[in-house]
Amino acid sequence: MTVKVIALNTFKEAVRDRILYLLLFFAALAIVLSRVLAVLTVGDRTKVVKDVGLASISFFGALMAILIGTGLVYKEIEKRTIFTLLAKPIRRHEFLLGKYFGLVLTLAVMTAAMSLIFLLLVFAHTLTVEVRLLVPVFFIFLELCLLTAVAILFSSFSTPILSSLFALSFYLIGHFSWSLETLLKRTRPGAGRAALRVVYTLLPDLENFNVKTEAVHGLPIPASLFLYAPAYGLVYTAFVLLLAVLVFRRRDFV
Amino acid sequence: MRKSTALGLALALVLLAAAGLKLRLDAIPRRTMPGSSVIFLPSGKFLRATTFGYSGFLADLLFVWTIQYYGNPQIPDKFQRFENIFSAIAELDPRWVDPYEVAALIAIYDARDVRLALRMFDLGAAKNPGMWIFPYQAGHYAQLYLKDYALAKAYYEKAMALPGAPPIAKRLFANAAYQTMDLRTAWETWSEIYETAEDPQIRKIASNHLYRVKAAADISLLRQALDRYRERYGRWPSDLERLAASGILSPIPKDMDGKDYAYDPASGGVKTAVIPWKR
Repeated sequence: MTVKVIALNTFKEAVRDRILYLLLFFAALAIVLSRVLAVLTVGDRTKVVKDVGLASISFFGALMAILIGTGLVYKEIEKRTIFTLLAKPIRRHEFLLGKYFGLVLTLAVMTAAMSLIFLLLVFAHTLTVEVRLLVPVFFIFLELCLLTAVAILFSSFSTPILSSLFALSFYLIGHFSWSLETLLKRTRPGAGRAALRVVYTLLPDLENFNVKTEAVHGLPIPASLFLYAPAYGLVYTAFVLLLAVLVFRRRDFV
Repeated sequence: MRKSTALGLALALVLLAAAGLKLRLDAIPRRTMPGSSVIFLPSGKFLRATTFGYSGFLADLLFVWTIQYYGNPQIPDKFQRFENIFSAIAELDPRWVDPYEVAALIAIYDARDVRLALRMFDLGAAKNPGMWIFPYQAGHYAQLYLKDYALAKAYYEKAMALPGAPPIAKRLFANAAYQTMDLRTAWETWSEIYETAEDPQIRKIASNHLYRVKAAADISLLRQALDRYRERYGRWPSDLERLAASGILSPIPKDMDGKDYAYDPASGGVKTAVIPWKR
């Protein structure tokens, strides 16, 4: 119940943030301007519109999660409102989870808004409502949920600028870690390879939430991905949130 | 109010000044090196590793840039890095068919290099082994621009074996087999097409091709026999019955409709009595 109240308050606070609307404006602009890029191409223009649209939702969604998520907890500490909150019968993990779910709710609304603009633009090109394109959006949203947890984790012990840099690094590592597999294949068996395999397995792999290419080309998405990718996202998010709770519990505000 | 109006005016003036300066800057002639930006393009594999999940979007950007690049007639040696550029796009979005086709078109009509076009289709086929369009298009190019029917036959054979390939791929394969004088393959393939086709028009086409294949085999046989007759008697036979009577070739083959081939005793030439397409 406490988590729900904090979540709703966080949502109300986040939707008042001007940066959110600025990002939404730029996301909408990028989606609409994909039409210009499509005109410059040769062949299938709809492919370009879909690529740019999905990339915009993913990129601006990540920016929203990072820029707003990294400031959420820090702002409470900076403005000292956290003293008032924690003086009430609110547990620290409830506060953190409330913040997390509040931002997830905000991101859900923003992703829905961006998707609506995107689907309308695709409809203007193909005259069909391509519901299938919501599949990559769902996977992008899973990635945003994980990224929000990471932003909250860093926000619980660092400044917004540093937290943003850390969260951005997490995002980049998450999309780069798949290339370790190539390195693994070229490494000779032994302790080095075993250590590399451990690193590869433990690092976040955000490419598991990337089905943009399959959706744009109309390729089949393996059914098992619908089960394992959300499960992976959920477990990794739970891990990061747990870490955030542990860090936050150790903090001394007095 | 007066202060804010003055500020607004000042802002507008500054913006106008910036716009004026921009136009002045645009008017300054600058030396440029057309196409120099291409040297910054990393290899496809490296590029893919740094897309951070936006490979499709980056492929779009690179493709649009490539179209502008190859549309610029002022760039010297623009085909030097042709394969690098298009293989980078292929690495970023291997499933995207348009860049391979556009690359092949540029290679044919601009670079005038058919082999380069074929390599683009080969790249597409290597990245998408299940797609018939690449060997099919390559077959067309080999047939049309190189007149290399053996190569075209090999491409069509690959295309027709892939799922979703149009029935015409098999017909083009059969025709390429005929052109390379692989008459057995041509006969077997056209027979299969004839037996399985539901469209009477296709059956008619297959029947005409079968006529042509049989005629080619028969005429080859007749020419060999006529040459032997001339070696033996020092002249062409007055008619084909005389050739049969000589024992060199008996019986004299007839065309698929049971008609005699047209024989010219003056030159020893043999041809079909009718044009296969007007049967």
